[in-house]
This record gives sequence, C-alpha cells and structure tokens, in this order.
Amino acid sequence: MRPLPYADPGTPDLRSPLRLLWWVAGQQRLTLAGGVAFGVVWMVAQALVPAAIGRGVDAGVGTGDLAAAARWSLVVLFLALVQAVTGVLRHRLAVSNWLQASFRAMQLLSRHSARTGVAVHRVMPTGEVVAAATHDTLRLGALYDISARLAGAVVAYAVVAFLLLRTSLLLGLLVLVGVPVLVLALGPVMRPLHRRQADQRAAAGRLTALGADTVAGLRVLKGVGGEEPLFARYVRSSGELRDTGLRIAGLQAVLDAAQVLLPGVFLVTVTWLSARLALSGVLTAGDVVAFYGYAFFLVIPIRTAVEAADKATRSFVGARRIINVLTVRPGIADPPEPSPAPAPGARLVDGRSGLHVEPGRLTGLVSATPEVTAAIADRLGRFTDDADTTVGEVSLGDLSLGDVRQRIVVSEAQPHLFSGRLRDALDPWQRSSDERVLAALHVAAGEDILDALPEGLDAVVEERGQGFSGGQRQRLALARALLADPEVLVLVEPTSAVDAHTEARIAIRLHNARHGSTTPSLARANGARHDGSMHNGQNPNEQVATRTTVVTTASPLVLDRCDTVAYVEAGRVVAVGDHRRLLAEHAGYRATVTRGEEA
Amino acid sequence: MSFATILPIASSRQVRTHTAALFARHRRTLLLTIGLHALAALAAVVGPRLLGEIVQEVRAGGIAATVDRLALLLAAAIVAQTVLTGFARRASFVLAETVFADLREGFVQRLLGLPLSTVERAGTGDLVTRTTGDVEALARTVRFALPETLVATITVALTVAAAFVTGPLVALPLLAGVPLLVVGTRWYLRRAPAGYLREREAYATFTGSLAETVEGARTVEALGLGDQRVRRLEDDIAAAYVAERYTLRLRTLWFPSMELAYAIPVASALLWGAWLVSRDLATLAQVTAVTLYAVQIVDPVDRLVSWLDEIQVGVSALARILGVGLVPDDRSPSGAQPTDRRVVAEDVRFAYREGHDVLHGVDLDLHPGDRLAVVGPSGAGKSTLGRLLAGVHPPRTGRVTVGDVPLVDLPLHQLRGEVMLVTQEHHVFVGTLGDNLRLARAAAGDAQLWEALGAVGAAAWVRALPQGLSTPVGSGGHALSPAQAQHLALARLVLADPHTLVLDEATSLLDPRAARHLERSLAAVLHGRTVVAIAHRLHTAHDADVVAVVEDGLITELGSHRELVEAGGAYAELWSSWRDDTPERQPASHGR
Repeated sequence: MRPLPYADPGTPDLRSPLRLLWWVAGQQRLTLAGGVAFGVVWMVAQALVPAAIGRGVDAGVGTGDLAAAARWSLVVLFLALVQAVTGVLRHRLAVSNWLQASFRAMQLLSRHSARTGVAVHRVMPTGEVVAAATHDTLRLGALYDISARLAGAVVAYAVVAFLLLRTSLLLGLLVLVGVPVLVLALGPVMRPLHRRQADQRAAAGRLTALGADTVAGLRVLKGVGGEEPLFARYVRSSGELRDTGLRIAGLQAVLDAAQVLLPGVFLVTVTWLSARLALSGVLTAGDVVAFYGYAFFLVIPIRTAVEAADKATRSFVGARRIINVLTVRPGIADPPEPSPAPAPGARLVDGRSGLHVEPGRLTGLVSATPEVTAAIADRLGRFTDDADTTVGEVSLGDLSLGDVRQRIVVSEAQPHLFSGRLRDALDPWQRSSDERVLAALHVAAGEDILDALPEGLDAVVEERGQGFSGGQRQRLALARALLADPEVLVLVEPTSAVDAHTEARIAIRLHNARHGSTTPSLARANGARHDGSMHNGQNPNEQVATRTTVVTTASPLVLDRCDTVAYVEAGRVVAVGDHRRLLAEHAGYRATVTRGEEA
Repeated sequence: MSFATILPIASSRQVRTHTAALFARHRRTLLLTIGLHALAALAAVVGPRLLGEIVQEVRAGGIAATVDRLALLLAAAIVAQTVLTGFARRASFVLAETVFADLREGFVQRLLGLPLSTVERAGTGDLVTRTTGDVEALARTVRFALPETLVATITVALTVAAAFVTGPLVALPLLAGVPLLVVGTRWYLRRAPAGYLREREAYATFTGSLAETVEGARTVEALGLGDQRVRRLEDDIAAAYVAERYTLRLRTLWFPSMELAYAIPVASALLWGAWLVSRDLATLAQVTAVTLYAVQIVDPVDRLVSWLDEIQVGVSALARILGVGLVPDDRSPSGAQPTDRRVVAEDVRFAYREGHDVLHGVDLDLHPGDRLAVVGPSGAGKSTLGRLLAGVHPPRTGRVTVGDVPLVDLPLHQLRGEVMLVTQEHHVFVGTLGDNLRLARAAAGDAQLWEALGAVGAAAWVRALPQGLSTPVGSGGHALSPAQAQHLALARLVLADPHTLVLDEATSLLDPRAARHLERSLAAVLHGRTVVAIAHRLHTAHDADVVAVVEDGLITELGSHRELVEAGGAYAELWSSWRDDTPERQPASHGR
C-alpha cells in the first residue's frame, strides 16, 4: 500500500461534487482497477458455490459415487480458497481506496484551514469545518471503498442470471426481473427510515452536546449548585431521544421483516418452480439445490447495490460540503505585483488614526474603548486593509503578505495556545534554545507557571490551553509573541488578566527585552543566538537591533514604562508624549488610565 | 494550573454486577425479546429441512402434489419468520433504546455527583472523553452490537440444533470449522480492540488539531504558523494511517482463516454425506439439509464474531463510565450546625502534591460583613487560600470553620448557603436564560429572577432580548457578551444568597474598562456579606477593610490599607508606584 499522507495532495477540481469525485478517482486509478478485478473474482467464486454443491448432490450424494463426491467437495474447497485469497486482496485494496480518497481530502482541508483559516472561520463555524474534514472525508472515501464490491455484485448477478437462463428461460427471467424488483420494493421503507434515523442522529448529537456542555460548566455548576435542575433537563432530553428511537423501532422492524419476506418469497418461488421442472425431468435434483443456493446468494448483490446507492449519495453530499470549505477564498490576499519591502527600521504609520510608530521604541496606545486600539492594531498588522497604513511610505497592501507577517506580528487580546508540549506551544517554530525560551518566560513573568509543572517545558498543554488560568494563558502567549521576535511587535492588551504585582514586573522586563540593552534576559539571549539555526535567511531583520513594540493598554504600570504614549479619542491620536506628561497635561488621558483606581 | 487527576475505572467485577442489575431491571422485556428471536430463528431453520424433502421427492421421481405441499409449507415458514422477525426486532430496538437511556442518565447523574474537590482539580479532558466518546461507544454496543449478537447467537444455536435433529451423524461436519474459527478469532480479538481504539484516538487527535487550527486561525496567521499547523495535521493523518494499517494487517490474516472455517463444513458435509448415503446410514434429504445448514450458518456466525470486538469496546467504555461514580466523596457531613457566621482559618497548610505545601500555616479571622482583600504575586497561593476558605478542599493541617464547624463537614447544599467561591470562570449553559438563573435556586419564580437581575443591573438588557427570560442562550443560542455572562453569574449569586463570598479574580478576564461597569453590579451583590476578594487591581485592596499580602504561601502583611502603607513593606512599595503614577490624587482621597 502507498504511504500516506501524500507529499502533495494535488489541486482538486472544485467545479461540482461530481467533478471532485471524478478527480479523486483519477488520482487512484490503479488501486481502483485492482479492487474491481479482485472484487469480481471474489464474488463470482461465491456465486459458483451453489452450482458446485448442486453437482455434488447429483453426482456424489445422490448416486453414492464417492469419487465424484470427493471431486465436488474439493471444488467447493477450491472456490473457498479463491474467495479467501481474492477476498482479502479485495479488502486491502478497498481499504486503500477508501484511505487514499479520505486522507487526500483531509489533507486538502487541513492545508486550506491552516492557510486560509481566518477567512474560513469568518464564514462557517469551527464545527462545520471539522465535520467536513472528519465525517465528510470518510463518507467521500466510502464510495471508492465499495466500488470493488459493487463491481463484483454486478458481475456475479450477471453470471448467476446466465447460469439460470441456460438451464431454464423461465427461471432466468424470474431472477433477472425479480432481483431489481426486490431492490426497488425496499426503497419505500428505506426512505422514511433514513429520514427518521437522521432525525435521531441529530437528536443524539444534541444530547451529546448537552452532556459536553455540562462537563464544560461543571466547575461553575458545582460552585453554584444547579445539579438537580440540570439533571432534570438532561433526563427530559434523554427521554425525548429515547422516544424518537422508539418511533423508529416500528419502521426498522418492518424493514427487517421485509428483508426476510421479499427474498423469502423469491426463494420459495424459485424452489417450487425448479422442483416442478425437476419432476418433469427438465432439471435435476442438484439443480434444485443449486437454485435454492442462488436465491440465497443473490441477497448479497442486492444488499451491496442498496448499500452502494446509499454510499454514493452520502459521498456526493460529503463532496459538496468539502467543496464549500475549499472554495472559501482568503480575505486578505497578495497584491498582483508586490512592491519591494522597505529597509528594516522603516517607520510604520497608520494614516487613519494618525499614529506614527517610532522605530526602535516602545509605544503605548491608549483609548477609552479597547475596540478602537484593537482596530488600529488590526490595520498595523494588515488584518484589515487600509491603503493609508504604510511602512516606509509603502502601503501595507502593496507588499507581499509574507513580508508583512514576517516583519509585523500582532498578538491579539485573546491569543490561542496550541496543544502539545509546552516548549512547542511557546516556540512553535522550534528555532529557539531552552535558554531563550526560559528568557522569554522570564520577561512574561511566567516562571511560576513552569515551576508548578513537574515536567517543566515538556509538560503537555491541553487544547486551547485549558488547565491554565486566564492570566497564565496570557503570560504564555506573551512569551510566545516575544519568541517570534519580529521587527515590529504589536501587543493587544497583553496584561489585562494579570495581577498588579506581575504586571509591574512584565512592564519593566518587556521594555528591556525589546530594547536589547540593559536587559538581563531575552536581549542577551538574542545576541547569544549564534547556533546557526536562525541564520538561514529566515529572518533577515535579525542582525539589526531595532525592535519596535506597540502595546495597547490602559494600565499606568505598563504605560509608565513606554518610551512614548499615544492617546486616541474618537479614532484619532489626540496626544503624544510620555506617560507622566500626558497624565499631568491631558484630562481625557488621565480619566482613562486612572479611572480604575478612583472607582 | 493543571493537576490532572485521573478518574477511576470500574473493575470488571463492578461492570458485571452493574450489567446484571441492569438486565434484572429489564428482565421481562429481555425474556420476551429472546423468546421472539428464538421463534423467528426456529421458523428460519425449517427451510433446509423442507428443501431436503423436496430434493428427495424429486430424486425419487415423486408426485407434484407432494412438492406443492412442501413448497406451501416453505412459504408458510417464511411468513412466520417474517412476522416473528418483525416483532422480535421491534422488541429488541425498544429494549436497546430503554437500556441506553438508563445508562446515559445514570452516567450524567454520576457526573453531577462528582465531589467538588475533584471537579476543581481534574482537567476536563478525561471527563469530556467519557461524556462524548465513551457514551457514543456504549450507544453502538447497546443499540447494534448487543441485539445483533443476541440474534446471531440464537440463530447459530438453533441451526446447529436443527442439523443434529436432522441427523446427529450427518451433522458432525458442521463442527469441522470450529477449531480454526476459535483459534483465528481469539488471536484477532486479543489484538483488535486496542487497534481500533488507537484508530479512534488518532482521528480524535486529528479532529482536535484541526479544531484548534480553525479556532486559532487568527493566531496562526499572525504568527505565521501555517506550515507548522499543516505539518502537525499531516503528522496526525500519518498516525491515523499507521493505526489503520495495523488493523488492516490483523484482518488480512483473520479474514481468510474465517473464509476457510466457513467452507470446510460445507465441503466435508458433502463428502461425509456421500459416504453415509453409500453405506445407507443417511438419506439424501438429510445430507442436503445439513449441507444447506452449513451454508446458512455462515451469515449468523460471521455477524457474531464481527460484533465481538465492538462489545469489548463497549465493555471498556462502560467501565470508564461507571468509574466516574467511584470517586469517594470528599466531605462527610458531621451534622454539626454553625453557631454563627464567623469564618476562621487556623494554621492552615495545604499541598496538591504530597510534600509540596502551597500554604505554610495561614491564620485568618473574618467577622460577618468584613471585607478582606488578598493580594500578592502570581503563584503565591492566593487562589489556593481562596479555595480552602470556600470549603473546596480540606486543609492538610489546621482547620477552616464557619461558626466553629469545619467547612468540609457541611453537606454541599448547606455549604453553598454559607460560603461561595466565585471565579473568573463563567459558563452559560445551553438552555433558556431563566434556566441558567434557576440553577442557583430551582424554585425561584419569574419575579424573583427579575429582582435578582435588577439587583445586578441586568434587567434592562434581558428585557430587551427577543424572548426575555425564555431566550435560549449558551452554545447554539443567543450569544451573550462576556459582560452579560458575568451579569448572569452575579444574579445567580443573589439568588443563592450565601453570607460569605470568596471572589477569585472574578472580573479579571474582562477588560478593566468593561469591568468597571460591573463593579456597581458586584457592589450590589456584596452588600451585607462577608467578602474575601483575591485581587488583581489595587483599588480593590484599597477599598477593603483588611488587606492580606500573600507571598510564598504565607500571609506576610495583614492590616488595613492605611496601616500597611504606613508600615512601608511590600504593599506600600507597590502602592507607591501607583501613587507616583497618579500625582494629582491626594492621600486624603484614599480612605473612603
């Protein structure tokens, strides 16, 4: 089998679900063909077993000819051996087909989500993307899985029909017409059943979500004491789900009964007709046995056909959902012809607010409403396009997005911690030494977080950093932003969930770290980083000591450590200066940064 | 901080006892189901017997009337089987739905009954897995695996019985496949559950990685983590592939052994039958019937063995689900009643991990109506002290009492009426807004809810909602802002009405500017109560009656704001940095 995942999952045809399915099939032609070949041999071998038994009954058992009996008994064993070998090869190829198709789609969705995530997240909830990548990809793959069995079913059906037709036109026609009628007859029961099953699945999903919601809020619940009403509500929903299930039970039972009755009627008809024909000498006793066997066997191709139709529908639906995700275009894109990036140390200017970010300095950005400064941060990092936001007098929108992201990093107010080892959560690029990681943690005043973890940097971070408090997450994210070490670092409310003691420490250390002079920690570790791993042109700005930092905050402890502070009112910078001067001279600023202390 | 306490898993004995009790509770339905399935299977095994007769008749050149009669009997058997199968299936679906509802409700009850200290300390990951993954695995077992294996077992047993009734000597070849079947299946089942579990885990890991990639899309983009995320996701896919290949390898060996085990009885029935007939030890009808039984038994045997691993998975899921109920309760009510509302801590020490005390002997004495602010650097033990003062954990040494009764000696519902812990964590439960409030007091009428909302200043925005108190909120419902969620949490406190509140950085996750709007709401809640506020912001401290500075698990300074400022210690130092920052403020304005 081919090793998965693919080095390159390819460029899919997203014009329609059918085209996507066709494109996927084209990528794995050989495995599909192999699966079909073995599937045919496997199922035809199965179809021939009744014939062999029939001959055995005629030639061996009926006449007492032991040699003939042994011969046909060996034929049955040989057919079983063929089935065993081709069956397992068919299975392996079918699984391979399924995995190739599903994993290719998973890879496509993974890559798209990792690179276009912001846009994807804007248009659809996370759950929908995850469902597409897990359920829908597996559904898509199921079509390729069943292709081998479906091919076998069709050929085996034809073979049995031929054998029957050769023996008796009447019986042959009965089978040829009867089997499709059986398949169609089950349809009317299947459709409402599928509908109700879908309802049931949805209700079950809601109940599971209710359970998960209870777990998520369990601490709050145990604190406030709402166990009983919550349990009563769960029991109510659980009862509703049970009742949905009970309503399906009747229909499901009818379907199961029909699956006994319809082939049964067919079986009786074939047996009776063949017995009557045998009596009149047209058929042998063994033929009767064989026909009984065929009628039994033909249930398999029928079921396979029904299953295939069902899987094809799901696969089509899955393909459509996958296309919905894959066709989301990024909101912010590269310009057709990017301008060359200005030299390091160029000044960053946000025209709309009138903010000038001085290179190499730590700038505090303050407004009475945090949304305003957050919006400015978005423009500075080109998360929203604005032609008036420039670096070195080039509009950010004219630069390649890669250049912008490399030079300017915006650490948002609620940054996301990724699961995995703590070391990798802090340094996802895996390019810093332990010393450097610890230095960054020191700047973020996060040593105590590390001390509490017996495994230290090898400790496992849970999804979304659950298990850490809000303040701890914030400090870890700050350490990560520092390790990104860009030319311009924009920190949005980096200490909003941190206590005053710690905030005071962070303010001092942050200033030193980004200035690379008097600091005992990160800056020195920066300078000492000559192990080569960083000097592969990944970060051309690295040799330049200029590190520009913007902090949006209203904390006097942080603002006091800023080289310069810009105060924003109604979206415009209305005052620039150092913290103490603004505090003394600007009443609006004073009100904004001290109001918390005057409450 | 993450203290991953691993929840217990039930022993196989406990699982057996529980299952037996469950079956006992549904004995009648279970017996009915088994009976109906047995009858249906009985009707099914008539077929080969009748065919045998037909073949014999044909071979002997018999008359059409006999064949017609036999065919009619065959038709009657089919009709009987149809009707019985319908009723039997219905009965087993009903049974499965009822049993599964029982199981999941029992689980949620155990979940809600988890001790407070376990809930506070355990990571949610394990619990989430048990709530979603294990409950779903159990659903598959109860809904499909159990009924299918039940039907298959009955069918196999009756088919074998029918063959031996047809002719004990003729039926012997039916057993020829058993050794290979048993050996192969045992080999497979010993390895398969772990293999399939690994598959599920691999897909779950991929799901988790993808979810955080999408949710953290902004962070991915900002920090240029796209390539890292792709690598991580493709590593997860590779792990899923390895897991899939392992189970495929198992099946590659197991499937052919099964196919042969199925074919051997058919082939040997023919050969053995021919020999018996040639010796006049059996009739053609008997041999034909047994050979057809050998063919017919394949399907139920196949179903039986292929559901076995699902049942194994179900059993281990059940063990984990029952395990949630095995956490010993963390408090044993002594029956003693508090004499007053004084909260006292004496020489309190506490460790999460043995030998690592977080608190090293803390004393506190809180009179009704006191306002205590606890300040200190991160990791000093402030939150732990808060949890002990709220009766979440028992102290390792010393005691924390209310009215001279240790907090952990009070039953949970009574404790909540005395002391309550309010953390920065808030959660809006799926349900209506009213449901969310009534968690604190189930019996509260709408008027009381509005009163509580009014007290915290939330009545206006709730009234403006499309359906007021009946508005669906929480995941999937009307989205509330963090400040609104905090309002609900505060309104719940008003409804619960404890005399003492421990606030652990309750408003810290909010932006300080947004938090200020909540200060007034909070003040309304705090009115007339004893308050311990673990503070981020110094103004909280300066408003308090008493300030406790906690450093390294000890209270290093204790006194009023003014006393501490005058004492010139660590608190004074921190305070002075604020005062320096706010030169216009006169010291006189501090003491309000």
